[in-house]
Amino acid sequence: MATNVKERDADPALAERLRLEVERAFQRSLKGFELLGAPPPTVGRTPKTVLHRRGTLELVHYHAVADEVYRIPLLIVMAPTNKGYILDLAPGQSLIEFLLQRGYDVYMIDWHAPAPHERDLKIDNYVLDFIPDCIRRVQQDSGEEDINLIGYCAGGMLSVIYQSLHADGPVRNLACFTTPIDFSKMELFRSMAGEKAFDVDAFVEKNGIVPADVVASGFEALRPASRIASQIKLWDNLWNDQFVKGFRMMERWGNETLPLPGGYFRQTTRELLRGNALYEGTLRIGGRPVDLGNITVPLLHVVAQYDHIVPPACAAPLVQRVGSADKEEVVLPGGHVSIAAGPNAVKRMWPKLDAWLEERSV
Amino acid sequence: MASSLFLDPLQLWREAVNKLENDVNALATGSMKSQEVARSLQQFSTVSLGMQQVLEKAIEAYLRRANLPSRKELEAVAETLQRIEHKIDQLLPAEAVPVPRPARTRRPQGAAPAAAAAPAPAPAPRPARTRGRSTTRRAGKP
Repeated sequence: MATNVKERDADPALAERLRLEVERAFQRSLKGFELLGAPPPTVGRTPKTVLHRRGTLELVHYHAVADEVYRIPLLIVMAPTNKGYILDLAPGQSLIEFLLQRGYDVYMIDWHAPAPHERDLKIDNYVLDFIPDCIRRVQQDSGEEDINLIGYCAGGMLSVIYQSLHADGPVRNLACFTTPIDFSKMELFRSMAGEKAFDVDAFVEKNGIVPADVVASGFEALRPASRIASQIKLWDNLWNDQFVKGFRMMERWGNETLPLPGGYFRQTTRELLRGNALYEGTLRIGGRPVDLGNITVPLLHVVAQYDHIVPPACAAPLVQRVGSADKEEVVLPGGHVSIAAGPNAVKRMWPKLDAWLEERSV
Repeated sequence: MASSLFLDPLQLWREAVNKLENDVNALATGSMKSQEVARSLQQFSTVSLGMQQVLEKAIEAYLRRANLPSRKELEAVAETLQRIEHKIDQLLPAEAVPVPRPARTRRPQGAAPAAAAAPAPAPAPRPARTRGRSTTRRAGKP
């Protein structure tokens, strides 16, 4: 015992560490109980007005906070698999709040769970109906003809398809985050969706709407150990209020993964994952071929270096294929979600997006 | 904090958890590339989904017999109520929820002084609801 005391005296860092660990263990017990009865974390608190709601579609306008805003409004297109509040988690962790404070007029296309009658919605409906409809509404609401379009993940893919089919439309600039183009590089999704492994027609016929659990488990299958590991990390960090808050918001977002219309799911599986039609140039929407070369507006593509859902190789062809003279791909350290939300996004992606947009928004 | 003479077992444990997570993910990723594994997983998923649907149907049948609404029905009612509330909100006078409409005259902070000194364009007028759907490019734009 005397030796231990001597060692501790000789090693103040050890004594400090022991004190810290005892304190954290105590905090873990207390906060663990608090967590059991805690209500779901509040997210998406930036004031907004719902401009339009139609089935799965919702168009919102965030209230401006700057005294004057840039002329061209921003329209963000969220991926149909997830809720848009990932870009508006909490004050200080919100891309929306950041953009508003930087003087942009921000609109967002967010999605709800599709109703049973929307089971047959296809990519065609999203890019020939939903996005053009919302653009018209943004034009009406803002009084501006020009629009800057921003798409995240599959929202980026929809925006790219829309723009290639409406090259002479009102979109002045296009920014995409982690947008898949070459689906042959999504090896795991392709493997799961292979014809021998999965009868997509029978599945869609049977289910109509693809349940959220199936969509979420598809994402989880890419990193099967991460859910358990994240629970262990949560326990380890229970003493840390900031960590717990961030974890719970992300957990809520993951748990609120959206179901998908069967038609959209079937088209994505057959034409994009199996046929790689967007990359090959064989995708036809509304009977018209989707040619990325038709896109001539300035383009920014933000790619996540460690993205396990849309690997950089899958996203890279966007900048290579478009016909824009002004185009830029930025590969930033981060994963599929942390590229847009989280401390790294605050430091890296948001300032980059702002720097790119500001001179193109007047 | 000064560095300790002793290894931190908790830090070692954290590193082990991270390594294990990465290794298991890498192993699973490798396995998933095999068509057999993918097929087995899909079959498992299909069976699991089928069982879930059977269970849901049984519960729904029981609730119907007991004259009780299912969770899905309650969620549908809540969704409908939300839509009605939203439509009522839309019918309320616009003054009830004032939405800020700042001028669209902002310039980038790093803009050249000459550009900053140039007269700012007038704020865009609020369009009438009957506005046309023209999406013509502005002259002089690339």
